[in-house]
Amino acid sequence: MPGWVEIMIRSVVFLIVLFLITKALGKKQMSQLDIFQYITGIVIGSIVAIHVTDVTTNAMYGFIALAVWLVIPIAVEFAQLKSKRFRNIVQGKTTVLIQNGKIMEDNLKKERYSTDDLLKELRNNHIFNAREVEFAVLEPTGKVNILPKKENQPITPKVLGATVAPEKEPQTVVMDGKALLEPLANASLNTNWLETELAKMNVSIENVFLAQVDSDGQLTVDLYDDKLTVPEPTEKPLLLASMKKCQADLELFALATENQASKQLYQRNSERLQKAIDKITPYLE
Amino acid sequence: MTVSSQVKGCFSSIKSIEATLQSLSAKTSDQEADKVFKEVRNTIRTVQNDLESQVLHLTKEEPQYKS
Repeated sequence: MPGWVEIMIRSVVFLIVLFLITKALGKKQMSQLDIFQYITGIVIGSIVAIHVTDVTTNAMYGFIALAVWLVIPIAVEFAQLKSKRFRNIVQGKTTVLIQNGKIMEDNLKKERYSTDDLLKELRNNHIFNAREVEFAVLEPTGKVNILPKKENQPITPKVLGATVAPEKEPQTVVMDGKALLEPLANASLNTNWLETELAKMNVSIENVFLAQVDSDGQLTVDLYDDKLTVPEPTEKPLLLASMKKCQADLELFALATENQASKQLYQRNSERLQKAIDKITPYLE
Repeated sequence: MTVSSQVKGCFSSIKSIEATLQSLSAKTSDQEADKVFKEVRNTIRTVQNDLESQVLHLTKEEPQYKS
């Protein structure tokens, strides 16, 4: 067998084996989370490279080595699940770089982190002034994570004291003009519902590139034909508007009438409506 | 427009709001949202009942505009 044929055959075979091994090692391996996975990745790659390009090697040995490097990482991962101490050895521990807003110079030295490295990592986290940091930690993966001081943290609805409606994940019900049955079932809807909603918008399903439905059953579609405009879901904004209008009307009636009993009735109900509007607004926006 | 017909218009809007809330609460898959929709719907119902009696009362007062 000429050398080049063997190289081609080896390449294909090792490609398949490598693919299977990576699958078996799992998603964690893809992110190279810790030292061990980092080493495994390098070694497996090198084994394959040697045996593919060098036809004088025995391919069997390559497979044996790969098998070992497949079994050991999996065994180590299981051992890590069981023991915290083993995990500390294999994965390494986090190092605190900044605590209570003060830079830990000793820890920086231990990790051989220069001031420039630290500032660079802070900038990576969109922080340009070290005084904005309350706490910073160096993960075993080499990534620096930062907790900014409270006043520099992003505003959340909780900080503002605002109530927000809960939002569940949307379901993608149409892709490339084809209805997807499983997501429809997840949203407890069916194809009949989808057809009705699309008919309401006056579009055919073949023209729909993507359609998603949110947890409140509102459908948003994107069409292949970008010249067509699709109506946005209007049910909720309309409801809120008509509630506000009714409330205003009742207030007006209360002002217009001279009958005391009627006046009170209008006022009472206007207040009730106002309370209802306040309560429902987060859910309708 | 007489007062009576204005109130009647408002009454029908309230009815439509009540129906929309019912459909929203049927469609949502989120329990918390469903709860809020139901609570608001109950409030709207009491408003609806009050207005209904008011509409009847007004029709009696302005019989010439009875529709």
